[in-house]
Amino acid sequence: MAKTTVVIDPITRIEGHLRVTCVVENGKVTDAWNTCTLFRGFEIFMKDRDPRDVWHYTMRICGVCPTPHGWNGVRASEMAMGVERMDDNTRLIRNMMEASQIAYDHILWFYVLNAFDYVNVPNALKAKPTTPTLKAVQDTLKTFVASGQLGFLANMYWDNPGYKLPPDLDLELTAHYLQSIEMQQTANDAGGVFLGGKYPMIMNYAPGGCTQLPGLEDIITYKQRMETVQGFVDTVVVPDLLAIAPFYIDLAKVGRGVGNFLSWGVLDEKSQDPYDRLFPRGGIYGGKLVAEKVDPDETKMYTKHSFYPDSLGAGKHPLDVGQEPQEYVDLAPVSGSALPNPKYDWTQAVRYGAQEAPMEVGPLAQMLMAYLAGRTEAVQLVDSTLAAVGAAGHPEILISALGRIVARVLKLKINMDNAQRWADDLLANMAAGTTAVNSMPEVPDSGEGKGGWDAPRGALCHYVRIKNKKIDSFAAVPASNWNFSPRDDKGVRGPVEEALVGMPVADPAQPLEILRLVHTFDP
Amino acid sequence: MPEMSVFPGVTRRDFLKICGGLAALIGVGQAGVADVAQALEQIAKRPNVLWSDFQECLGCSVNLLQSRTPEVANLILQQISLNYHEAVMAAAGDQAEQNFWDTVSGGDFYWIVEGAVATKIPGAMTVHGETSMDIVKKTYPKAKATIAIGSCACYGNVQAARPNPTGAKGVAAFLKEDAGVANPVVINMSRCPGNAEDTLAALTYVLVYKKLPELDSVGRPVFLYGDLVHNNCERRAHFENGEYIESFGDPHCADDWCWFKMGCKGPVTYAPCPVTRWNGHQSWCIKAGPCIGCSEPNFWDTMEPFYSPVPDINAPGIGGISDNTFTGILVGATAVAIGAHLVGTTVTHRLRGGGPMEPSETLPGSGTGDEGGE
Repeated sequence: MAKTTVVIDPITRIEGHLRVTCVVENGKVTDAWNTCTLFRGFEIFMKDRDPRDVWHYTMRICGVCPTPHGWNGVRASEMAMGVERMDDNTRLIRNMMEASQIAYDHILWFYVLNAFDYVNVPNALKAKPTTPTLKAVQDTLKTFVASGQLGFLANMYWDNPGYKLPPDLDLELTAHYLQSIEMQQTANDAGGVFLGGKYPMIMNYAPGGCTQLPGLEDIITYKQRMETVQGFVDTVVVPDLLAIAPFYIDLAKVGRGVGNFLSWGVLDEKSQDPYDRLFPRGGIYGGKLVAEKVDPDETKMYTKHSFYPDSLGAGKHPLDVGQEPQEYVDLAPVSGSALPNPKYDWTQAVRYGAQEAPMEVGPLAQMLMAYLAGRTEAVQLVDSTLAAVGAAGHPEILISALGRIVARVLKLKINMDNAQRWADDLLANMAAGTTAVNSMPEVPDSGEGKGGWDAPRGALCHYVRIKNKKIDSFAAVPASNWNFSPRDDKGVRGPVEEALVGMPVADPAQPLEILRLVHTFDP
Repeated sequence: MPEMSVFPGVTRRDFLKICGGLAALIGVGQAGVADVAQALEQIAKRPNVLWSDFQECLGCSVNLLQSRTPEVANLILQQISLNYHEAVMAAAGDQAEQNFWDTVSGGDFYWIVEGAVATKIPGAMTVHGETSMDIVKKTYPKAKATIAIGSCACYGNVQAARPNPTGAKGVAAFLKEDAGVANPVVINMSRCPGNAEDTLAALTYVLVYKKLPELDSVGRPVFLYGDLVHNNCERRAHFENGEYIESFGDPHCADDWCWFKMGCKGPVTYAPCPVTRWNGHQSWCIKAGPCIGCSEPNFWDTMEPFYSPVPDINAPGIGGISDNTFTGILVGATAVAIGAHLVGTTVTHRLRGGGPMEPSETLPGSGTGDEGGE
């Protein structure tokens, strides 16, 4: 049977620059490599800088999720400056910012970054619109297509039989795509813009706390906008998921991946204990649904298959690795059957603990930890979803391509249902006369700190070491570093590479299934 | 049925409203609305736009998705033909690249670049196996206009911070220094992230007037970047009165006092933030904290530490600050205002690569705060 190499470069609708190479045999992926095609060198140019400035740098690692990068940067540096605990107002302000970020981010992913893998936009022209809004959207689409300038919709695999939705659903989802653009803006306004000054790259964090206590009018604005978004999630996003999932139920059987999951947790409760978070910290191994304790200092780096010297990683702690790029890197051209060279990725392989395990991170990991910790909302939502698809009592079926999508939407709902609580608790603190936020600490001669707070797309931790009042070492281990790890020194594939193996590909010239699977990880 | 305009589904009235908004943004005011309307109506075909991403974080694209003027859906469905944008386009891989290069060979397109060009390690930035250097070399000569959005594409930005491990450069610097283009023409829409609404206003200017806007010495449109943040800041009066926030969490944060002592770089930063603001013109950084100077070339190296006050500026109630760390020396009880013109001189001097300012050059002017436009 035919054996062919499929390269997708660039993988579009993601943050970052990604190439994926797959060997397809007999209609299935038999081997896979992911390559980050961008290197910037944060660990190098942040050395010797002022430790107070860390978070401004770390936000620029990802312009899609600068808020959790800011949290991790500011937390790592303030911890290195001796601030072990946040004041309670700071905790709540940072939660509000994060809730706003999660809302925007997952809505953006569901529609703008992901929908075109499942929603056939040209097919919406065949729909019979049932409402004036749908009619108007269809008219706009007709004019757009008739113009012959297909712009951002040009040249997609629209004739691929993998698109399964009926025209009416394609039209409805297209209308929701357009509506989602306004809704992700509303979500961003709530925290990023009215508390943070602008979005992306917020301005209201500072080592030690926040720049200021927000004004009442801004807290009220946050509450109103988040309520609007909550309505959208309940009446549009969740129903959209339930409407399209039955057409793509086959995705529940593929893309399982490594079966190891890691989350540092996100959204602090009053205790500030990471195991007490709304989405708690934890690790899962081998698909066995038991959450174990995990420690960001057990993170280990490997570089045998990355564009750095082999000896650079070798299982070291992130702060002890640094970056030493090779002078010139020759990527195989995109053509024919070329497989990647032994060194094929700017990403270093990251593994966890004594097992040196590749770990999947993201909303699926976050939801599994919340479920296993017995968080009421998570248990109810997961159990009712499982029952709805005839799999009551079998949460393990979530470990699949479709499961990642379901988990992301359920997590979004839980985030929205808790978003008012952070603002209400802040208002209660203020009403009780607690109006302080910590001011900035002095930079000490030496110190060490780390974050450990999930971004929407998964586990994220920044590490900082101070010497002589300057940054001596900085390391970032973001979500895509875990999910899109290349092979490690032992040759074990990273989580996405592993999840790709076994994916059916109907037509190697239109690798829609590969694109779908990669997008379930929200790179 | 309402009368149709060049934008399908947009009434004549709404169309003129859009034109009014764009006219205001490009600085021609109500008098220019007719010009804008006429020019847009003459565009039978939606202009082709290619958007490339190089060494970046996607923050400029995310800001594009926050645009309200124009609204994103209207922009991509009715106003432009966005033939390539990695974060937005449906197609991927070979099919995406075909969209890009077909448009390039057609030669009828405007090019927006987000991200820096990697020159020292060319392989640090590749798309479809081609380096950012090669893509710029092949695309720039064909574009009707090239706009760099965000400080990465303008000046290299964060990855160009010392020691600039990958040799990251802005598009214009790469063309001039590495690609042999003597006088590259690139409209630099700096800041971090780039402000998409202002960038689209610059694109509108080009579409309407069929020429480039006047650019400053670092390639930025004067109509947007001609003034210091400090001069248009709504907190300027507090600066003049010597009313400063002394620490984060200071109760005077609630009174919107001045961030100068907390390190605000507004006095040495040229940008329209206080005027056009961000995210649908709703807000800007000063609402939440001090400016870090993100519109200026190499700001990571020249503006740090971000939380230390700008040196060599005579501030009311403070006087001259000669050290990087604010020492709180009070030279007198009387407020000594700085003149905006003078600060402008300071920045221009630095941009020319001059040495440290002589103390005499930082003497205060009369400083009512109105001289901004000079």
